[in-house]
Amino acid sequence: MTGMILRRLLWALPVALGVVSITFFTARLFGGDPTELYAPPEATDELRAAIRERLGLADPLWLQYLRYLGAVARLDFGTSFSTNQAVATDLTERLPATLELGLTGLLAGAGIGIVLGVLAAVARERVPDFLVRGLTLAGMALPQFWIGLVLIWIFFVTLGWFPGPVGRLPIEVTPPRPITGFMLVDLALLGDWATWRLAAWHLALPATTLAVATMAPIARVTRASMVEALQSDYVRTAVAMGFGRRALWFRLALRNALLPVVTLIGVLAGNVLGGAVLLESVFGWPGLGQYALQAIEGSDFAALQGFTVYAALLYVVTFLAVDLLYTLIDPRMRGA
Amino acid sequence: MSASMRIGLAILMAYLLVALVSLVWTPHDPLSPGVGDSFLPPGGEFPLGTDRIGSDVLSRLMAGTRYNLGIALAAVAVALVVGSVLGVLAGYYGGATDVVVSRSVEVFQAFPGVLFAMLVVKAVGPGVLNIVLVLAFIGIPDYARLARAEVRSRRAWPYAEAARMVGNRSWQVAFRHLLPNSMGPLLAFTSINAAFASLVTASLGFLGLGLGPNTPEWGNMIARGQDGVMTGEWWVSFFPGLAILGMTGAFYLLGDALSDLADPRRR
Repeated sequence: MTGMILRRLLWALPVALGVVSITFFTARLFGGDPTELYAPPEATDELRAAIRERLGLADPLWLQYLRYLGAVARLDFGTSFSTNQAVATDLTERLPATLELGLTGLLAGAGIGIVLGVLAAVARERVPDFLVRGLTLAGMALPQFWIGLVLIWIFFVTLGWFPGPVGRLPIEVTPPRPITGFMLVDLALLGDWATWRLAAWHLALPATTLAVATMAPIARVTRASMVEALQSDYVRTAVAMGFGRRALWFRLALRNALLPVVTLIGVLAGNVLGGAVLLESVFGWPGLGQYALQAIEGSDFAALQGFTVYAALLYVVTFLAVDLLYTLIDPRMRGA
Repeated sequence: MSASMRIGLAILMAYLLVALVSLVWTPHDPLSPGVGDSFLPPGGEFPLGTDRIGSDVLSRLMAGTRYNLGIALAAVAVALVVGSVLGVLAGYYGGATDVVVSRSVEVFQAFPGVLFAMLVVKAVGPGVLNIVLVLAFIGIPDYARLARAEVRSRRAWPYAEAARMVGNRSWQVAFRHLLPNSMGPLLAFTSINAAFASLVTASLGFLGLGLGPNTPEWGNMIARGQDGVMTGEWWVSFFPGLAILGMTGAFYLLGDALSDLADPRRR
């Protein structure tokens, strides 16, 4: 068991190295000369040379690469020239907003998805099954940003039940000083329940958007693996032994059917940062995604590179966590 | 042919037809502004309304089919060919080829696809060809992994043995005998990958990264209508989303049906 975990940890290292290298070379090979972004158009050649010297661009590529690796190992992603702060600081400041939205949406989506998947599997080839399959197909085939826009149109513009896409709180409300950075947690700690309700209200639509996008694949996989479990010999034996339906579905079939679902939740969690760019731009959510979008629009390559490495490392870490979780919940994996 | 395969194929044929028709005829010029007033609601001369600059939404939607369908099909075609070749080489020959291909695949799979596409397209600039190549590149690892697994599992089967015995060269066994028999799962994945590719294309367009600002690509159109949604002019963003839903959904349906065909145990 310990050996397995160690092997997995060691395995994550070369993958992380590969990801960082891809990011570096993509930005450097395709990104053009960063000097132009710093130099005024009327800059003399000497000034340009000085800028290149200062940015370390005058050195050979391999030296720049090694220096970049060293910096990333210390979690130093350079300075963003749009915020004039260290990229790592920027990212850390904005991470809680993204995580708060991501976790809420993922948990809600996973919960609903599993319930719908079980429902479809036990009512296989009947009306509930067809409804769930239609719903999940639509949920997978629609872009998240469009779902978000339609929710805004219905629940903000038309009905006025939920706030518009202005971020985590109304503009006139001063946000609390961050303790954990998670708005709902901080406000609960401060006991400011009036603002807490506002924050929850602002979280509702973006979290629902993410939940819809998460629910669809989870319901599909749950259904498929539940159908398989219900046809297995151990379920047939349990039927013959007179187990009730609820025990059959939830205690026997679902517990085994959840294994592939765990993997899928891991994949979806790893994708939250990538999806955040689109989701946060629709809802004006001040997280990592919006930061990345601003970096894209401003050609802020240091920030963009930092974000990409961050996202990819999160991906690797999530997969590692899922692998380990898998060995814990699947007894067959313990000998491996 | 199963019902979902028939439905999926029929929908995709309809999209293809619209794409072809849009080459010679659309109700209005999709690219010119001011064919009607700004933000006319759906109905009458403009069945799907007009956008802020008075372009016809229906015409733009029709013309957009060429971009969204064309990019998705071209990207998966490139990825299928390159990925299968790499996968067959790794799976059949094993050894160093296998190590290099398999390890690279794992690294690239650790990279969130949408992010990579954003980074590269931002760096190399907009354009149909660039998007096709980036999407193909993102897909290649999956095809390679799939083809490798298929070929590896079949390498020792009697028909492969027989093909070798009658004097085929190894590349002939690999590409003429093993690969064609592995096409089922590969084609099923191609269809699902096309759905993914069309979603990423729309995402790039929505972020303003994909193609020029006036290109009637669906993601672009949704972005252009975003302000209108806030003031009640929902139709500019709404209809392109439905167009994406139809096309992507059809690819998923077809992919599911093909997976069932390739693996009869799946129902």
